[in-house]
Amino acid sequence: MPTDNKFSNVHRRGFLLSAALGGIGAAAPHAATAADNEDSVDLTQQYPFYGNAEQAGIRTPPQRHIFFMTFDLTSTQRRDLQVLLARWSAAIAQLVKGETIGQVEPDRAEASGFDTGEALNLGPASLTVTVGLGPRVFTDTYGLAAQKPALLRELRQLPSDAFRPELTGGDLSLQACADDPQVAYHAIRDLARIAKVTGTAATKWAVLGFGRASAGKGQATPRNLLGFRDGTRNIKEDADFEKFVWLKDAPDWQRNGSYQIARKIQMRIENWDTNRVSHQNDVFGRHKMSGAPLTGTAEFDTPDFQKTKADGTLLIPDTAHIRLAAFENNDGLRILRRSYNYTEGINQYGFLDAGLLFISYQNDPAAFETLQTKLGSADALNEYITHLGSAVFFVPPAPPEGSYLAEGMFATA
Amino acid sequence: MPRASLIALLMAAPLAAHAQTSAPVTNGASQVNITLTGDNGGACVIDHPVAKAGPVTFAVTNKTATAITEIELQSNNRILGEKENLAPGLPTVTFTVTLGGGTYQIYCPGAKQETQAFTVTGQAAATPSGSIGTILADGTKGYARYVDDVVAGMVTAVARLKAAIDAGDLTKARNEYPQAHAFYERIESDVDGFVLPGFKATDNAGNLDYLIDMRASNLDPKVGWHGFHAIERDLFQTNQITDGTRQLAAELQKNVDVLDKQVKTLDYKPEDLANGAADLLEEVQSTKISGEEESFSHYDLVDFAGNVEGAQQAFAFLEPGLEKIDLDFTRRIQTQFAMVMKMLDSYRDPKVPGGYKLYTSEIKTADATKLSKAIQALQEPLSKIAEKVATAQ
Repeated sequence: MPTDNKFSNVHRRGFLLSAALGGIGAAAPHAATAADNEDSVDLTQQYPFYGNAEQAGIRTPPQRHIFFMTFDLTSTQRRDLQVLLARWSAAIAQLVKGETIGQVEPDRAEASGFDTGEALNLGPASLTVTVGLGPRVFTDTYGLAAQKPALLRELRQLPSDAFRPELTGGDLSLQACADDPQVAYHAIRDLARIAKVTGTAATKWAVLGFGRASAGKGQATPRNLLGFRDGTRNIKEDADFEKFVWLKDAPDWQRNGSYQIARKIQMRIENWDTNRVSHQNDVFGRHKMSGAPLTGTAEFDTPDFQKTKADGTLLIPDTAHIRLAAFENNDGLRILRRSYNYTEGINQYGFLDAGLLFISYQNDPAAFETLQTKLGSADALNEYITHLGSAVFFVPPAPPEGSYLAEGMFATA
Repeated sequence: MPRASLIALLMAAPLAAHAQTSAPVTNGASQVNITLTGDNGGACVIDHPVAKAGPVTFAVTNKTATAITEIELQSNNRILGEKENLAPGLPTVTFTVTLGGGTYQIYCPGAKQETQAFTVTGQAAATPSGSIGTILADGTKGYARYVDDVVAGMVTAVARLKAAIDAGDLTKARNEYPQAHAFYERIESDVDGFVLPGFKATDNAGNLDYLIDMRASNLDPKVGWHGFHAIERDLFQTNQITDGTRQLAAELQKNVDVLDKQVKTLDYKPEDLANGAADLLEEVQSTKISGEEESFSHYDLVDFAGNVEGAQQAFAFLEPGLEKIDLDFTRRIQTQFAMVMKMLDSYRDPKVPGGYKLYTSEIKTADATKLSKAIQALQEPLSKIAEKVATAQ
């Protein structure tokens, strides 16, 4: 019976770092305060799926783990796409509450379970599942050509591209983030099953990531696998979300949506690790330990891109990552980064196979292109990284209860 | 929920039902609305759990129930009707069945209370009388003869296929395969509920449709792979006739013989023909358009034509009665059928066994949308026939 499957009486809590000192009270049913979030994990915390603004998993302070997957549509029928988005929406609404999407052990012995069961009693673990729609959704095949978000298109070729076809593209994306990796994995696994059962979509590429590599509001800045803080100057304030992330001047069903760009970026870890630290600092333009810009003493000091050494050379070199990426040097342009570290063990050449699952959100994919064109051409970091895969999606807003993701795009035509 | 309290609940339901008014009747069919909500851990709310004997139309709407994706009408575990892929926001779906007096169950897996009683008062619906009812009843007899003929044809064709396999003649077996299988595609909707004696309806080992036509994508590991598509794999993928292939062919012949005997005992109601036709078109959409049905041999267009022919025949036997009920409506369906037939004609190729081109990835890429749209245009009106003929006087 379904009541047996619920976690409601379970309070599985874990604490990391300073949370043990924070004296956090009873588990909050929904998003905790920023102070609570700092370096703590409360596995009973949950974020609602339904809403009247953006989908969860974008502004949401990054959880500890991600399972990201893209899908190719396998059906040419509009109704199949509709049914899939409706079934995904219902299932995600269940999953974020820590509940099953259906029977794990059906009454009929010959039946297979609706829910695969591996997340039973793990709690919601702050799970969010964010759904994206790729450019090929908006074609005549589904009668959706006229609904295409104005700026959605394949990215143009950028200087850093070294894509493998099997790690690139997709018609749908699912970004599941949670503080328990098994909760994130279970969500994607069961949603992929629905895609198969309905005959609508097939899996394309996926990355299982850990150790968030971009800070959200109220979070200490985490580190990427190169050992540097990542996301010190990330978008955190609501005003910046309004300006750079959300679609505002758009049809109803798109408003508060955003464009999602995902890149699988491999790192040459062994080369990096043997590199002298002064060079590593020059590559980023920051000090490794403190995260301070080379022109300052504390992480959040504003970089001084003009400051020179005694010999007249720039303290933050011309090719430093933060100089090329800084909004001051890009006409104020900013994007939200929500990346994760990944590892896939050891590659065929005996190197650690690891890197960054870069994910960004912006209200115009061209913002990413502008920044990446610059970085891809001149960034000192390029010696240590390769962009293996890429995909772009439109992420519609959250549906209100009783509706489903992107229902509005089916209303016309 | 403990089993005891579930039983208590089922027993209590008919008592409570007496206080309820019977479902309203529109155009001769009781109208029952079932609304799925997320309230109280998931609820399946039946507006009228009591209806008069006769045709009953269930209209199912998922308002906010994120945990419920399907619903079934059962009579002592026999599924009389069901709807899948329910989710909040999707349009209301309906199904119509003719029910005699008695207690039935509405099964909502995932709801807090998964099974609820549904009570039908009065006797079983009388056989439709009067002119339209008589015409439709005649039509069902004609359709029964058609099904008998198709299955008899299949018995012969399967015997030819088996002979070729027994002789180890791969080329001949490959030619016989699509011809034998096409018979099944014409009447497969009628085989859905057949269970061999001594087996439960839920055990695939006794499920005739499973044993004859299961595809690789839906195998029950306990029962294993049998029937046409297991043979298809041997003939078109491994390209070998083995003892296993001969065993499969012998089994298939045995099961087709069972089917032949079974279908001769069947009586059909007019709505059975309508639902069967709709099911065949669903088959086209779900497994032929995608090329999933014949993933080794690519004879999907032969099956496509078989499904369409079976649906067209079921419709044709209803046509005389249906024209008297709603002529314009009948003409619309005739037009859609004609368009589908014309489109199918463009794929004919007498040189290919089965008479249609192979469904290559090129054809699929170029034409799948065109094919599915043509069927969709037929499916919509066709799905409305059942209620019309079930309620005919």
